[in-house]
Amino acid sequence: MALIITIPGLVRLAIVSDPDELRRVNDAAVVARPLSGRGGLFNRSVAAKLAVFRTPDGDIWPAFRDRHDPLRAEHQKDLEGVLSHIEPLLQRIAPEIAELSNYVGGGRLRRSLGVVVQQAVGRLFRPGYVASEESYEAARTLQAWLAAWPLRAWWIRYSGALQAALDRIEAVSERDMACAHATALAMENIVKSIELMRELALQGGNLAKIDPKDAMLRTLRAPAHVVREARDGDFVDLIRLRSRTLVLLAVETAHQQRASDPGSAFFAGSWNECPAHGLVPALLSKVWQVAKDQAQGGA
Amino acid sequence: MSRENDGFVYHRGLLQAVLDVVYRVVNFFVRWDHLPTLLGSANLSVFRERLREHNLHHAGYGTAPPGWKTGNDRWRSADGSFNSLDHPRMGMAGARFGRNFPLPECVPDSGDNLLEPSPRVISQVLLARDTFIPATSLNLLAAAWIQFETHNWFSHGLPRPENAFKIPLEPGDTWPDPVDGCMQIRRTVPDNTPREPWLGATPTFCNINSHWWDAGQIYGSNRERQMEIRSKADGKIKVGDDGMLPPDPDHQGADLTGFNDNWWVGLSLLHNLFAREHNVICDGLKTRYPSWNDEELFQRARLINAALIAKIHTIEWTPGILGHPALDFGMHANWSGIPNRVLRAVLGKNSEAAYGIIGSPTDQHSAPYAMTEEFTAVYRLHPLIPDDVDLRRLDVAGVEHCKLVDMQGGASRKFMKSHGFVNLLYSFGTVHPGAIRLHNYPNFLRQFTKEGQPLLDMAAIDIMRDRERGVPRYNRFRELVGKKRVRTFEEITSIPGAAKKMRAIYKGDVDRVDLMVGLLAEDLPDGFGFSDTAFRIFILMASRRLKSDRFFTDDYRAEVYTDFGLDWVQNNGMKSVLLRHVPQLGPALEGVNNAFAPWNVLRS
Repeated sequence: MALIITIPGLVRLAIVSDPDELRRVNDAAVVARPLSGRGGLFNRSVAAKLAVFRTPDGDIWPAFRDRHDPLRAEHQKDLEGVLSHIEPLLQRIAPEIAELSNYVGGGRLRRSLGVVVQQAVGRLFRPGYVASEESYEAARTLQAWLAAWPLRAWWIRYSGALQAALDRIEAVSERDMACAHATALAMENIVKSIELMRELALQGGNLAKIDPKDAMLRTLRAPAHVVREARDGDFVDLIRLRSRTLVLLAVETAHQQRASDPGSAFFAGSWNECPAHGLVPALLSKVWQVAKDQAQGGA
Repeated sequence: MSRENDGFVYHRGLLQAVLDVVYRVVNFFVRWDHLPTLLGSANLSVFRERLREHNLHHAGYGTAPPGWKTGNDRWRSADGSFNSLDHPRMGMAGARFGRNFPLPECVPDSGDNLLEPSPRVISQVLLARDTFIPATSLNLLAAAWIQFETHNWFSHGLPRPENAFKIPLEPGDTWPDPVDGCMQIRRTVPDNTPREPWLGATPTFCNINSHWWDAGQIYGSNRERQMEIRSKADGKIKVGDDGMLPPDPDHQGADLTGFNDNWWVGLSLLHNLFAREHNVICDGLKTRYPSWNDEELFQRARLINAALIAKIHTIEWTPGILGHPALDFGMHANWSGIPNRVLRAVLGKNSEAAYGIIGSPTDQHSAPYAMTEEFTAVYRLHPLIPDDVDLRRLDVAGVEHCKLVDMQGGASRKFMKSHGFVNLLYSFGTVHPGAIRLHNYPNFLRQFTKEGQPLLDMAAIDIMRDRERGVPRYNRFRELVGKKRVRTFEEITSIPGAAKKMRAIYKGDVDRVDLMVGLLAEDLPDGFGFSDTAFRIFILMASRRLKSDRFFTDDYRAEVYTDFGLDWVQNNGMKSVLLRHVPQLGPALEGVNNAFAPWNVLRS
């Protein structure tokens, strides 16, 4: 059952964590991706945070495009087509996979994990993508911006760090907005997954015992929350959404309840299905497999 | 704030910021229309500033850059281009409609939701006229006038047959033209110009007319049409030997004029009247500037005539239909400012409040000028049209009962000829239009035959137009113009039985109420002819049509209009125009302060 919090003037919020409810709310006609900022100060602050994810000429980042936006559907289809060629793509990022596998197997990285993941993700979109500590720092800034409390958010914006981070991410992505989204925001889930894999691998010889698919299922992480807004009031099953309710879809919590289904982390089958829904699990499996092979080879 | 609005940014002054806070507090306790006149008028000005800041959104131009033509700097181009010399596409014919709400709010429902509830059922149950409800403070010229004006401002073009909406008919519906058990409604002409990626899911449509208040309904929105209507001598508009506009060879029953879609006798009266006015202005100019050629005379006369029409609309028609003292004061202030020396000294020459919008600096506020889809939505005022009209003659007592359907379309010119321009003007001045309320939609328009179109239920079409163009439904619309959402149907309306019917049709969901239904159902402020919600868009756009237009602001000066032209606009109004061209109306207009109020009936 969803948790509804309403404090007039401050917040109008619904937190949905049940997997079935989450899917139905996500698909409901009154629930939209763009946030108006109405409903209370909290709603306004969240909307203001997402509003920055636009290019200088106003183009919207793909993950924030509305359901009925024809460009969203078109981009999603195109990108899914590109990302469905899993083997060649994994081949393209074999050096990064090797680095990640080494890390999972207990080795040390010469650069930070985030940089490696960012480069791997970036090269899926643009073969020439080069990540650096600065580009990863930019991604961290954007992630911090989304999670920050008001004072910190204010500082991130007014210190210029936010704009600098957006500029850097867009520059290294060569204005490819899907790439920008993946290398700034989505990649952090892969970083978490790799960290979990390393922990898993280092416990009692799991690397040898657990097969890649199982390891992937245990470590795959979804975004903690995805936000939506109920533009008008309506009931979705038993959940009463008042108009301008900020809907927090607790995707990771829901995914943990359906951990055997990797699709639940990617809204598989929904209008907003992540185009990388096949690629990310394959990438994680591959990392585990290579780590396993390296361990066996070393032994 | 972004490139979306083509770089236009709203700048709020300190006084405006303070007044905004003060009136938020005041309005928590008292509605604007319950305040004393001056305070109420200031309240409207605060609303307008708020709307200027938050309710202007650019949807792209959708047109190619126009080419420069001689005279574009001095007078209005035929297609409205170069009104803004820095942004020549702004407001030109063919440019897209803008929006009054953030673009993500202007997204149509998807799939079946778009057709729910059935617009045909709404037409039958909520809109159909049972008995005619008159608007007793107005005459029928007021109804014709607003159509005359909207033909100046916008047209989406004639819908084409492909991909029509199919509205399933309820059992027992006697719609005479069903196709597979459905009523078909053609879609709005699509905008096939390249879409900017920032438009998101918001649909865009193009205005085939110029967006400016340039009397394009008389002069056309392209050079070819303009040349067709001109006599090519002394700047005048072509008229026949009888002084009337000639027939349009391509549009049976309509007069040859700038824009003559949906033609009827009411439009013909006003087009003829202002064509005559144009020609008289030409005579006046010719006398004073004998060296001017046909083009110069025509274009200068057009500027003057268009400004006069804008003035009549601002200070006569509007206070006529929205009879509230604060609004009356506000509209006069819009045009000529508040005649108070102290206020003028304090606020300065560029102040709209002190000196009026006319002649003040041009300002687009937060977005490039364009008519908006929401503006077209609130101007769906078909209930003004009666089904039957009692016609009178100046020289004979008694009335002739006529059906309005017999004085429109292909029958218009014949009807005009048989009844006469003078008698028809007199008749229109003495009968009432319909009140803009539920259950008052003209029935002939609910089963209407139009050349080249299938049988039309205009009421159902009006509902579908708002839906397909992504205009938010009533409750969200209220919220977006700064009013509270309603929670119950009873909060919308006190019309007996209406709330119950609406609840049944909308299945208890007040957020689904269509905009037009809500606007027609809403309880009105005292003296108002249409809803306060629609009025919010009006507050914004009525001023914007003037404030954005170079020819009403920066270039409203003698070098452009001539001293004769400025005097002409200053000294004339609807009554003087009527009396100049139809002096026989003198007794009917005697003692009538507003030409859109009912005139004297001379022989009952």
